Amino acid sequence: MTLVLSRVTARFADEKKNSTPTLKDISFSLPTGSFMSIIGPSGAGKSTLMRVILGLMEPTSGEVVRNFSRPAMVFQNYALFPWLSALDNVAFGLRMDGAGAHERERVAREKLREVGLERFESHYPAALSGGQRQRVGLARALAISPDFLIMDEPFSNLDTITSEALKADLLKIWRTYGMTILMVNHLIPDAIELSDQILVMGAHPGRVEKTISVDLTRPRDTRTAPFFKQVDLLTEDIRRTVSPS
Amino acid sequence: MVHSIAHSQTRAWHHHHAERHRRAWVLMAGVVSVAAILIALGFFGMVTWSVLGNAIFHTTYRLVLAYAVALALGVTIALLVGWSPLGDYLFPIFDVLQNLPSFALIPLFIYFLGYTNQMIIFFAVSSIIWPILFAVLTAIKSAHNDLNDAATIFGARGWKRIPYYLAPLSYPAILTGSIVGIAIGWEAVIGAEIITNISGFGAFIKGADVTGISQGAIAGMLAILVIVFVVNRLVWAPLLAESAKRYAE
Repeated sequence: MTLVLSRVTARFADEKKNSTPTLKDISFSLPTGSFMSIIGPSGAGKSTLMRVILGLMEPTSGEVVRNFSRPAMVFQNYALFPWLSALDNVAFGLRMDGAGAHERERVAREKLREVGLERFESHYPAALSGGQRQRVGLARALAISPDFLIMDEPFSNLDTITSEALKADLLKIWRTYGMTILMVNHLIPDAIELSDQILVMGAHPGRVEKTISVDLTRPRDTRTAPFFKQVDLLTEDIRRTVSPS
Repeated sequence: MVHSIAHSQTRAWHHHHAERHRRAWVLMAGVVSVAAILIALGFFGMVTWSVLGNAIFHTTYRLVLAYAVALALGVTIALLVGWSPLGDYLFPIFDVLQNLPSFALIPLFIYFLGYTNQMIIFFAVSSIIWPILFAVLTAIKSAHNDLNDAATIFGARGWKRIPYYLAPLSYPAILTGSIVGIAIGWEAVIGAEIITNISGFGAFIKGADVTGISQGAIAGMLAILVIVFVVNRLVWAPLLAESAKRYAE
């Protein structure tokens, strides 16, 4: 298992002790090499959960077992460093690791080529489109050879055509590198297309409602009747779970 | 040549800023032309240009030195405070200190440093430092959480966070803080020169009162206007424009 959470509760520092925590009793495990999506309404604490998993925020109680050494993250709002070119953004993690300039440039160019942005290496983030920025964010994550990749709604700010292309690239990269991926998703069809498991969260407080296995064989054709049926069933299941009334 | 998708916007942006630049230069050229005409007509006949030039030189070099010291100190302190977990406790102390009217403190500077160049420079540092320090601190404290998290996740932790993340993050704030700081610095240096009568532009214009204003004072004000304008156009404006372009959302 790459990750195991056991009854994790988290509360922000300015929240009172007897108020509703942001996350309550979160328990789940993430098998190594698998792709899991997290779906939930606003207020479910999905982003907080990501921060707890990465150690950016301490849980109030419970246990987080991390069997990964090189996590990376792709952000919903890209989080690229505006003062660095695309190449230097991708090389950032390698620079912090102490890699030499030649090695950094070589790896960064290779990753930009993998995401189709080799001609934009000297562009700054302000001069890139949303889709291009997200690709740079993905390349930056891949450059450090992560064993665990977290993606926080990576397609939510992109148009349909761009996100379809990025999804296809992501699946290819996942198959190539065999890393474990945890993605916060806001679209059920995307979660079904990409994931082995879907974690359904409820809100106020953020909690795990259920874990659903997606049993469709890969590669998944999103235009077939079995896929549509799976989407319908899971959509209804998830809707009943998070809104029982 | 491959252009990014934002290329046409980049072109329009440059055109807009180039037009603003051009208009400002035209305006200043008009001011300088009028001054040149007045000089040619003998309006500034009573001005001893070497004395005025010397006075402006002293004022300017004190300001430049004070700015360099204030910049180094202000940025260093702000980066360390912004990086440290104890920073939140120091912020209110700085808030109180920067509210002290600087000229109310000038007797202290005179007491410890006398009527000297160093006194004026250190006094100016005490005024210039605050806009820079607070601009940088505010930039660090208001940085987007995602950017902070990205820096942490990709290894900008511990001492590395300062040169590889906090310092470049603060660059636009260092610029804007510097512009405000230098404006305050001019006042501090000239004001201190007026009060202490140490040679400089402040002492030069000290004779102006309700009965009249000397040609030298008018010439000096025009000269300082030109200096400030040229520095703004040739140094600050290009830096600000490049910073705005690069740090745009």
